[in-house]
Amino acid sequence: MNRYSIAYATLFGLGCLLGGAANAQQEVKQDPWAPSREAKISPVTQSQLNAADKNSTNFLLTNGNYAQTRFHPAKLINRDNVKNLHVAWIFQTDVKESLETSPIIVDGVMYVTTSYSHVYALDAKTGEQLWHYNHKMGPITTYCCGPNNRGVQVLGDMVYLATLDSKLVALNAKTGDVVWKTDIADPELGYSETMAPTVVKDKVLIGTNGGEYGIRGFLRAYDAKTGKLVWNFDTVPENSVGVWAAKDATGRDMHRDIQAEKDQLAKNGDPYKKLGGGVWQNPAVDLATNRIYFVVGNPSPDLDGSLRPGDNLYTDSLVALDLDTGKYVCHFQYIAHDVWDLDAVSPPVLVDVKDKSGKTIPGVIHAGKTGHIYVHDRKDCSLIRFSEAMVPQENMWVLPTKEGARMLPGANGGVEWSPIATDPGQQLAYAINLHQPMTYRVESSPYPNGKLWLGGAFTAIPGEKQSGNITAVNYDTGKIKWQVKTPEPMIGGILATAGGLVFTGEGNGKFAAYNSSNGKELWSFRAGAGVNAPPSSYTVGGKQYIVVGAGGNVQVNFHRGNNIIAFTLD
Amino acid sequence: MLLLGAGPHAALADSIADKVEVCTRCHGQVGKPTDKSIPVIWGQQAGYIYIQLRDFKRGDRKNEIMQRIASGFEKDDMLAIAQYFSQKPWPDLGQPRSPKDVAERALSAEHSVGCTGCHLDHFQGDSTVPRLAGQSHEYLTKTMNDFRTRARGNNPGMTDLMLATPPDDITALAQYLAGL
Ligand code: HEC
Ligand code: HEC
Repeated sequence: MNRYSIAYATLFGLGCLLGGAANAQQEVKQDPWAPSREAKISPVTQSQLNAADKNSTNFLLTNGNYAQTRFHPAKLINRDNVKNLHVAWIFQTDVKESLETSPIIVDGVMYVTTSYSHVYALDAKTGEQLWHYNHKMGPITTYCCGPNNRGVQVLGDMVYLATLDSKLVALNAKTGDVVWKTDIADPELGYSETMAPTVVKDKVLIGTNGGEYGIRGFLRAYDAKTGKLVWNFDTVPENSVGVWAAKDATGRDMHRDIQAEKDQLAKNGDPYKKLGGGVWQNPAVDLATNRIYFVVGNPSPDLDGSLRPGDNLYTDSLVALDLDTGKYVCHFQYIAHDVWDLDAVSPPVLVDVKDKSGKTIPGVIHAGKTGHIYVHDRKDCSLIRFSEAMVPQENMWVLPTKEGARMLPGANGGVEWSPIATDPGQQLAYAINLHQPMTYRVESSPYPNGKLWLGGAFTAIPGEKQSGNITAVNYDTGKIKWQVKTPEPMIGGILATAGGLVFTGEGNGKFAAYNSSNGKELWSFRAGAGVNAPPSSYTVGGKQYIVVGAGGNVQVNFHRGNNIIAFTLD
Repeated sequence: MLLLGAGPHAALADSIADKVEVCTRCHGQVGKPTDKSIPVIWGQQAGYIYIQLRDFKRGDRKNEIMQRIASGFEKDDMLAIAQYFSQKPWPDLGQPRSPKDVAERALSAEHSVGCTGCHLDHFQGDSTVPRLAGQSHEYLTKTMNDFRTRARGNNPGMTDLMLATPPDDITALAQYLAGL
């Protein structure tokens, strides 16, 4: 038993709930109580992945399919019968800590992950454990916002995982044994991994965290068979200065002192080496054009712009690359020279959209921490429109001060890393939002060698009420179609289904189904721990299931748990 | 004298025992520091102990005694020492639970900054983020104020957060955390 669980046990007199998994130093791939079984797996082919959007049996990619629509085509569970939805099984992991996993389901086998980079393979029908990979964590991890992991992806008979200590690991899907392992970057310099990889055409695509530590961000492709680096794209180019944009994507003045920045640039040069620019979430893959689209996070240090003159390209941007070479195609920056950490984290989604003239074209949409959904032309990344704000905005863009300046939204958003869902038939995007009034403070200090480098602080204002909402936005008009208010800020994710439903959870443990056309609540369940993970859907034995993690959340401090809960109809 | 049969493992274990012998003088025989201004390192997170030794050696964290001690260590020593202390049980310093009004003030400050976003549930820490629960009251007060004045300059992020926290809240936090 490790120290972590001893502490819990002495504090609360609990028994062995934690099972000592979190910090355990030896590598075990199986739970001592449940001897490992070989998973009967069917290898996943590239053509299956390409057609994942039409596959109602499986959930093959983190956000459902390469376009990342989070729209699942199964409709056995629908508006008429969802009221009868009930628990099929609950699987308890060994780690009672923040749960952000997107369950992947391949022909009756489910793969889930937990905090500290554990992986479990489960029987998707019964919840029975098939194997457990307990990653032997290196001595140094440096991460922001919790020891989270958001999931795996499967290609062939391999399961791909990126770990908190910044390694990329390929596991045998049958047994959970390690096939290969690669170091991505040095955790002592602030690099860590919490995202799920995207695997496509024998490449494993992975970004990095570290925008709070003065890293230089990247998106990389590794060879799926060998773990060798195929290409690297630095999210911060050597010339990160840009066009000295005075206004944000919505046309609001950002109050930059551009002359002071130019003087700083002349004095100290381009700050690209420590400028941050993490990639927190999966890229979308456009199979037709062989391009990928992803968003890049905040510049380092978060709140102090004085050390980093220029637009700080490509932080706070949508970026498109060529899939084969990793070469730049186009970008669009939402906030140049961000000093609020209102960056871009929620994964972009590829859908057909109406352009300004009303013509239907391939589009890409992204939900920002600002609370807007941005709609782009996929051809050149240009902005077509942005939605009405989904959360209150006040005092934008007041500059952070030493005493603290109040501005809405707070630094978590709007929409955090939570993926959105879309229903292309209704031209609707569904997003979950936070409302947390905050003050923004600035403090200047030089680069601290891989240590926390915030350049100030954003603090929630005591006494000011926080809340959340679920919002459906018509991306062809930018108008809000419906909105459901929730008592607490929302973080996790959302799923839409062909049954005319959306599913999402809250920090207070509520998990609910809503009519996707009008937001009417049709069913709900109390999980006992925060439901702050994106749901998935699949079909096995002729029944459709909805599955979601209930483990709470570190960042917003929602009640922790260790449950993977699957629901079905009789 | 060379003992036959004592493999390289035993030799390494010996050298660790030698190296940590000096620490007990201040950090305690059984983990209870000999003075209230000295932090608990028994049961502290390994990554954190390593980083502190590294920072003392580099001079990024200033403390005459600790800088002198750490200057003799190489990275591998530091990692081994960190591992050694992290596996010891955290000592009970017998500090009282804070009264309700202090706890409420501390929790409101916690909520405002989101301390547990990094120090994790119940302030247990992980890897390079330290455990705070049950740490010495005097030491917590001192080090939080040292962050505030930059006397402790090895983590500007913590300095920023302490500057955003009013002094009265820091007092409450120190008492609350010590009593956990
Ligand atoms: C003569 C007394 C003394 C000795 C001997 C000593 N320490 Fe310390 N140590 C201190 C003091 C005092 C501090 C607090 C410094 C400060 O306030 O910044 C400290 C701080 C530390 C810290 C930082 C803890 C924290 O919570 O930030 C570590 C780690 C540490 N010592 C490890 C060791 C190790 C390992 C040894 C033996 C190799 C050792 N010390 C020997 C007095 C000592
Ligand atoms: C964004 C992450 C983060 C947040 C939020 C945070 N801390 Fe820290 N804290 C750290 C890290 C990392 C360290 C280690 C500093 C170092 O490297 O020396 C630390 C160190 C400390 C220490 C020194 C402990 C020791 O043994 O010397 C104290 C005390 C502390 N934090 C208190 C707090 C309190 C109280 C809050 C909330 C008001 C808070 N922290 C919020 C990351 C954080």
